[in-house]
Formats: sequence, structure tokens, C-alpha cells
Amino acid sequence: MAFLTILRAIWGYVFLIFIGRIVGRRPGKQLTPFEFVLIFYLGGLTLTGMVGDEFSLTNAICQIMTVAGVHWVITAVRARSPRLARLLDGTPLTLLEGGYWRTQTMKLMGLADADVMAAARDKDIRTLDDIGMATLERNGEVSILQRQE
Amino acid sequence: MPGKDTVAERITDSIPRVDNAVAVGEDLDFQRQWWRFEKAAWVMLALVLIADALGVFGRGWLARAERSSADGNFSVRYERVERAGTPSVMTITVNEGAQQNRQLQLFASESVVEVLGAQRIIPQPESSTLTPGGLLYTFPMTSAPAEVSFELEPSFPGVHTFELRVPGASSVQGKVLVLP
Repeated sequence: MAFLTILRAIWGYVFLIFIGRIVGRRPGKQLTPFEFVLIFYLGGLTLTGMVGDEFSLTNAICQIMTVAGVHWVITAVRARSPRLARLLDGTPLTLLEGGYWRTQTMKLMGLADADVMAAARDKDIRTLDDIGMATLERNGEVSILQRQE
Repeated sequence: MPGKDTVAERITDSIPRVDNAVAVGEDLDFQRQWWRFEKAAWVMLALVLIADALGVFGRGWLARAERSSADGNFSVRYERVERAGTPSVMTITVNEGAQQNRQLQLFASESVVEVLGAQRIIPQPESSTLTPGGLLYTFPMTSAPAEVSFELEPSFPGVHTFELRVPGASSVQGKVLVLP
């Protein structure tokens, strides 16, 4: 039924957002092989359920438009509602500040010192002592501010 | 200053500023709540997977069901939880008592063919007759017990009831939950 395929497309989109949010942010500007596998595998698995036994172009186009529509609605609501934005993207998290690690944040976000140091090297910072502040951004990047003398 | 036709608004801080420090906008209270939610969600996911492996959502141990007719002439093995578009088998075992003139007549309600999506019947019936509320199949039968299998592939999610009957004897009714 056409109505069900639209519902399936909406459900698939929302469910993937939920799973993506649960799986969590990982640092890095580029995808590691881990994330490649995750993204392609999740995408492929979702596809089987979303398409079902309807291999028609009509179905594909309608589902694509459904997903685009849901995305547009969520984006619009997110821009107006800071609460939804926080729910979908989380908040930036401080990882290191004033010479102290935020150990709880580091542990629960699954981050190691090496991840912060990798981001620091990107900013020409040589040692951990030179980092004034490290923040895990909402998109998973670690941003570094140099310590001010 | 922006030009005359430009739509603009003066900058205001939506992120609270403390001592002119870096505006991060961290919300640890929210994050702690989220971590708790995340933990609960992982437990939920694990429970769902365990339930799935056990067959709560079909195709497993807990999904299997068996019903016998009141007179014991036949019994049905089926899956009480099915998945839409996924094949399964409903097997009917008949005893001597169901046989009449070296024939077995078996009535299957419309739902078996329509919503539960019977694709194939093994063995092939000698004839199938349209009757009110369903189809009456006739099979040649020389020995008992014998088995008739319906290969099902349900297409509509929901709770569906079915009925199987040997005319002149008792019937078996059952419910099947079809998951999307």
C-alpha cells in the first residue's frame, strides 16, 4: 500500500536519526573505516525494510520525496526550537580546560587523550600543556584553543 | 551598518557569557540526562535483540504454535507471529478420522489465502472449491497420518484470524499477528 511505504520512509528516517544519535559522536574530520562500515551497513539494511517488495521507480521517488520533506520539516523546527536542536545535535562538550581533563565527559564520549592530541597537532600545538581548551563540537570535531600566556 | 535593503539584526548572545570566557554553550545537565537516556536506550536495544532471537517478533521458538481440533482428527502447526513479506509454513497433520473415501477435504478460511498470503499448497490439491467464507480443498489420501503444508507469505500487518476445518468434524481457529 502506498500509504504504508510513506510511513515506512518516515519511520526509517526517524529511526536512523535515533540510532545515529545513540551510537554517538566520534572525533575526526574525516570518516574512519569504522564509520564507513557503519554508515553503509545501516543504510543498506534500512533500505531493505523501507523498499520492501516494491521495486518501482514510483515508490523510490515518493520515498525520496517523503524523506526530503521530513528532513525539511525537522530542519525548520530545529531552527526555531533550541530544545529540539539540543536533542538532535547534543551540546558542545568541554574535554579539557585550564590544564584539567573532564574525565567523565571523556570516558562517556569514548574519547582518549590521543584524540585530543591529534586535533591539537592540527593546530600546530606540540604538547598537551599548550592546550587552553579542548571542546568536542556537535559535529564530532574536537576544536582546540591555544593556552594564553 | 548594513545597507538600506538588507534585513539584519544586531548581534545578541544566545549563549550565556561568563567573565568573557570562551562561549562554548555546554549544557552538562542536559548531557548527563542524555547519558542516562542513552544507557536506558542501549538496555532497550539489547532486550529487543534478545526478544527477537527468542522469536517474540516471529521466526523463532516463541512464535511457534500448535493447535489440535477438539476431536483430535487434525492439528495445525503455525507461527503466531509472522513478518510481512516473509515466507513461513503452516502444516496441518491429519489422522485417520479425517479421511473419507480415500479423500481428505480441508476447508481454509479466506484469510489464509488473502491476508496470510498462501503461495503454494503441498501436496497439490485435486480440486479447490469456492465456498462461503473460504476455500474447500480436496486431496487424495491413502494413508494416515498425512501432512498438508501451506506456504504463507503475509502482506498485511495486523492481527488476523484463520480457520481450518475438516467438514463434518471440528475446526481449528487461530490468531496470527503479522508485523510490518
